[in-house]
Amino acid sequence: MLSHAEASEKFIANQERTDWHDDTLWFVRAKRDKASKLIPEWEALREHASQIKEHMLSNLPQYLLEFEVNAQANGIQVHWAKDAHEHNEIVYSIIQKHGDKALVKSKSMLTEECHLNAFLEQKGIDVVDTDLGERIVQFRNEVPSHIVLPAIHLKKEDVGETFHQHLGTPKGNKDPQFLTEAARIHLREKFLAAKVAITGVNFAVAETGEFVVCTNEGNADMGAHLSEVHIACMGIEKIIPKRQDLGVFLRLLARSATGQLITTYSSHFAKPREGQEMHIVLVDNGRSRQLAREEFRNSLKCIRCAACFNTCPVYRRSGGHSYHQPVAGPIGSILAPNFDKKANVDLPFASTLCGSCSNVCPVKINIHEQLWFWRQDLMKEGLAPAGKVISMKLMAWVLSNPSLFKWAGAMGRKVISWAPWLVNNGLNPWYKQREMPEAPKQSFQEWYKSNRS
Amino acid sequence: MSSREEILKALQGVQMPAKAYPGTFTSQVHGEDTLADFLHSMQVVSTTVLQVQDASEAQPLLDEHFPKLQRVRLEKLSDGLSLAHVDVLEITGDFGVAENGAIWLDDAILPHRVAPFICQHLVIYLSKKNLLPTMQEAYIRLGNQLTGFGVFLSGPSKTADIEQSLVIGAHGARSLVVVLTES
Ligand code: SF4
Repeated sequence: MLSHAEASEKFIANQERTDWHDDTLWFVRAKRDKASKLIPEWEALREHASQIKEHMLSNLPQYLLEFEVNAQANGIQVHWAKDAHEHNEIVYSIIQKHGDKALVKSKSMLTEECHLNAFLEQKGIDVVDTDLGERIVQFRNEVPSHIVLPAIHLKKEDVGETFHQHLGTPKGNKDPQFLTEAARIHLREKFLAAKVAITGVNFAVAETGEFVVCTNEGNADMGAHLSEVHIACMGIEKIIPKRQDLGVFLRLLARSATGQLITTYSSHFAKPREGQEMHIVLVDNGRSRQLAREEFRNSLKCIRCAACFNTCPVYRRSGGHSYHQPVAGPIGSILAPNFDKKANVDLPFASTLCGSCSNVCPVKINIHEQLWFWRQDLMKEGLAPAGKVISMKLMAWVLSNPSLFKWAGAMGRKVISWAPWLVNNGLNPWYKQREMPEAPKQSFQEWYKSNRS
Repeated sequence: MSSREEILKALQGVQMPAKAYPGTFTSQVHGEDTLADFLHSMQVVSTTVLQVQDASEAQPLLDEHFPKLQRVRLEKLSDGLSLAHVDVLEITGDFGVAENGAIWLDDAILPHRVAPFICQHLVIYLSKKNLLPTMQEAYIRLGNQLTGFGVFLSGPSKTADIEQSLVIGAHGARSLVVVLTES
């Protein structure tokens, strides 16, 4: 497997595509800014959302039990899975009971985390991803590169070619409207035929035993309402205490994700349809371990909006696949070492620690600080990549000494203007393929000193 | 030990400070004009709004809007598949939310859960009296009454998964018309 830095090097080799990727995601980030500025109480909402999630985490077992009781009273069958394998087995056993060989699935990052598709395919089940972006990457034998925009690494020419091969659309046709229509026709057939539908879960309400799924395309609903069996899969941290909390989260989610006012559909599933079976699988898979890690506990507040991806200068210019994890970006880099420190040791280093992620996060996770905590943890355990250890030690020494910090900053600016090749060298992978910015002549502190009074 | 017990035990074993529930969110700021906000949101989510006195007044306008398509209103149905051939479905929405154009639909008013998704075009009748400023008021209105399934629907289905180009009409309805009545 390539490390993040190696994979990024490949990604940025195509300058034009890197710039396009960068600009597109920045555009999404800008839409988020605009949407959030239209809500005067935005900051109060973020604070409230953060507090609800912190409260939930400090009472997680009680809320899970409350959810279970209420969901069961609603007629939903509740399953518990301690890890990915158990989750996959549970889903498979439900499918088997109905003897089906095909199913439709809407977006669920949890099932990506558990590698459910590969598991079911091995058992001879045909899994059809129905989110357009996910269907595209599935046709191409790839994985999503972004949790909200799964095919954001592809250009319309790529999609046109993929659809030509798999759906028989005319070669060379790359019109998004036409291609979307082709996918609509293709997937309608699948929806009408499927007996089993799998969906993800955005929020599960302890108080009412219902769960909420948000989409723009309507694919989760097409699948769930036409199926005889609906299986919803969720990480245990998706619980929220009360229904009224949805008001807070639904106001934040889509605005943070894409700058939309709300997703087209926010569907509340409380009871199965008459004659339908509804299952929910509650999955731990390392979450209780992360909860016990004090510095990283707050990463479980995440509502998977991807605002931190879109704003991250490293993500924008390295692409989701370079993170070699189902959840990429800044938050993925905090979650991944919890699964496997050694295999993901590169990820907490895939950041400039600029803090932009923490600034946009709708539930106020201290993302960049947690990345820094992981670096220290990984270094302590002797796992950090060799080149990083020296620079991290230096940085820690510099950061722990304020006067040194000021001096180093001034030196840094001088070094950049006098000898850019010193900074733009092979030791620092982030400076590959790009020119360093012109160094400001004064730091803010220096400017403040000379302009004060 | 079952996985359920194992998970609960692991979670209960985590020592952490208690964090209080912050209560109901009360700091929302309302726009001055709920109707104007709603109309603006409808525009943002590519929805046509017909403002009329009552439902009958909307009929000629809808004939004009859907010149060749048949419009239907349906009773309760047990089979969702039969809806696959409906061109234009007419339903009545419970209430609408000004800040985002979301309209609440649930089992009590839907002929079938899949109805607003599977039809080609959707018409929702909504009374101006049933407009609320934000999602906070929406959930206060919903309270804890459960109807099995309910959805906040805002605009026609859409996707931007191909190079971020917005395409209206992904898997759900291709267009939405909201008939806003006085009463
Ligand atoms: S960490 Fe915050 S910004 Fe990033 S996906 Fe999660 S909720 Fe969104």
